[in-house]
Amino acid sequence: MTLHQILFIVISIAVLASAVFVVTTRNLFHAALMLILSFFGVAGFYVLLEAGFFAVAQVLVYIGAISILFIFAVMLTRGMMGMPRNNSQAQGAALVAAAIFVGMAFVLGPLAATVQVPFLPNSSPREIGGIPWAYSTLPVVPDQYVFDLGRALTEPSRFALPFELASVLILLAMVGSIWVARERRPAEVQAERVEAANAAAEDTKLEEALERGSVSSAPEPAVAVAAADHH
Amino acid sequence: MVDGVLNGIPLHWYLLVASALFCIGLYGVLGRKNAIAMLMGVELMLNAVNINLVAFWRYIRPDDSAGLAFVVFVFVVAAAEAAVGLALIISVYRNLKNVDPDSLDQMKF
Amino acid sequence: MDIINNLLKIVGDAIYTFLHNLIPSPFIADLIVMGLAAIILCTFAAVSFMGLTYAERKIVARIQDRIGPNQAGPFGLLVPIADGIKMFTKEDTTPTAADRWVYNLAPLVIATFALAGYAVIPLSPGVVGTNLNVGLIYTIAIGSGSVVAILMAGWGSNNKYALLGAFRTVSQLIGYEVPMLLNIIPVVLMTGSLSLVDIVNKQSGLDGGTGIPFAVYFPVAALVFLISGIAETARSPFDLLEAESEIVAGFHVEYSGMKFALFFLGEYVNALAVAFMFATLFLGGYAGPVLPPYVWLLIKAAAVFTILMWLRGTMPRIRVDQMHDMNWKFLVPISVFNLITVLLLGKIFTTPGSVGLITVAPLTQAIIMAVATLVPFIGALNLVGRRMRRQLAAVESETETRREANRATAAAAMGGTH
Repeated sequence: MTLHQILFIVISIAVLASAVFVVTTRNLFHAALMLILSFFGVAGFYVLLEAGFFAVAQVLVYIGAISILFIFAVMLTRGMMGMPRNNSQAQGAALVAAAIFVGMAFVLGPLAATVQVPFLPNSSPREIGGIPWAYSTLPVVPDQYVFDLGRALTEPSRFALPFELASVLILLAMVGSIWVARERRPAEVQAERVEAANAAAEDTKLEEALERGSVSSAPEPAVAVAAADHH
Repeated sequence: MVDGVLNGIPLHWYLLVASALFCIGLYGVLGRKNAIAMLMGVELMLNAVNINLVAFWRYIRPDDSAGLAFVVFVFVVAAAEAAVGLALIISVYRNLKNVDPDSLDQMKF
Repeated sequence: MDIINNLLKIVGDAIYTFLHNLIPSPFIADLIVMGLAAIILCTFAAVSFMGLTYAERKIVARIQDRIGPNQAGPFGLLVPIADGIKMFTKEDTTPTAADRWVYNLAPLVIATFALAGYAVIPLSPGVVGTNLNVGLIYTIAIGSGSVVAILMAGWGSNNKYALLGAFRTVSQLIGYEVPMLLNIIPVVLMTGSLSLVDIVNKQSGLDGGTGIPFAVYFPVAALVFLISGIAETARSPFDLLEAESEIVAGFHVEYSGMKFALFFLGEYVNALAVAFMFATLFLGGYAGPVLPPYVWLLIKAAAVFTILMWLRGTMPRIRVDQMHDMNWKFLVPISVFNLITVLLLGKIFTTPGSVGLITVAPLTQAIIMAVATLVPFIGALNLVGRRMRRQLAAVESETETRREANRATAAAAMGGTH
């Protein structure tokens, strides 16, 4: 049992246990804290996989920003913490999740290495398109993999365009979330309430018209057009 | 066909853990009543995807940055989606005092 | 001379070989060496915390024209020990209905994150806790991870005011991470690596470095990094949210005794870490002519910390909205502008050995970059100053007109009664 194996087992227990806690607890703040523990575990996985840059990036992005967003959102929607935790379809969801896990374990696990796939003769699932999934002797991570990543992200022939699109995406997300979640002034809140009340009144009128006009279908399009004209 | 082994850890260990994390996140999305808890499930799924990508990068082709670029973009998308999703949930809570997605059915007809 | 210069390295190597000869398994010997190094670093941080509280109280007192503590021991030198005894013997309260796990874990988490930042600072050539090749981002990630502990403290206290204080503190901390990160990028650009050891080597003149500290290259970046660092650790003048004289002391209002001592330690250790980072990134780390390298590093970090204490004693507290205004409307635009300028100039004027348009000596490149970033910065300061003066003049004229009107009505009333 090498040290890496022991570390892997410890970290995977931490990650999976805290993930189970996240999806089964009623107290959302504890769920957010366990989510942070899960993220730390994933950062540990990145360290084991010799991608240290992504370990610190995970801590910086997920724990330093996204988890804080979650905690703020939990705090700002405080009244909903005592509600039942499970959906009406929770058991079905558990069955589906378990079935998918069993299927994936079959394909990805150690047993599948010897199963022959029928429509791809002379190949195993561990070899798709002629590229083996793993070599018996591993290639070495270059010392400057961060440098290579930076080069790849900014070179026009490689990933410069997705990089720019990603920055536009973040800009849109920032502007959009600030606008959607901004504090509205009392006059604005009042105007929104009036508009919502008007829309509700229109909807009830439309429903009544549909009820009355359900005998003959002719007035329906006229009423629908009239209602659309009002807006 | 023998799996690559890095310091005693074969590749499929990482893949199994990542798929377990993915399925736990999937249960979180499908089976929870609170919208914020559903978003936490989505974040778990995205983390599982990232583990998968980095494991494959390390075991198959560590000198090619395409795998790592994919990971960077998953980071970016996860952050943007968490921000927008949580802003929407906060806005819905302010207007309707309710974050249960099952009860937000006013656009059904 | 050589022994004194490499004292840390010689001692470290001696301990390493001693343990490796003593214990047959090299893995356990390595583990023990690393554990010893961690213990030594944490002890250094904790002991310097004690000295720093004493120095701060004395220096701030002198700035405020008083003497400071001088009763506990000669010149008050035993004050930190007296403080420690006081903290240990205070009652350790826990609020009822507080979340016990979260409430008790928060001080531990913040102290852990504060101490973990010392692992990557190079103390001497060849002496560093661990030479991470992403050491710079590691420090920033540790800083942003400690924000979670503040939220835990605020929520675990089961106190509305603690929660509000925690929110405001967190908004300040994550707000000031942006200029911090933006101003580290020019340093990384010049070095070509994220490792702190490489950054210090580049500034020190050895191994092909230029021998010019990065503060000469980017004075604006250094200044804004220092300001962001002060705001990150919530020290004065940014400490409205958790100052001792405020009625509600922010997120740590419900903590007393040893747990509060851990928060206190976290704040000072964080401030010292900011001082060390500034010394490493912008002042050249352990590079220096005559004295041993670790003495130079201590001198530089102490100088930066003295500036922090000087600011604490001199400047009034900034209001929360003024602090956010300054961050998002002034520091972030100036940092972005600085970054673009440095990137462009770094490609146009390059040192021999890199690709660029015009090849100049490193000192010329440094002066060009410094001037090109200082001129817009001073221009921006002038613009902001002019706007502030105009606003002040407007307020002054408005008060003056109101005073005139009051005098007129008072004169009319007095004239009427006569």
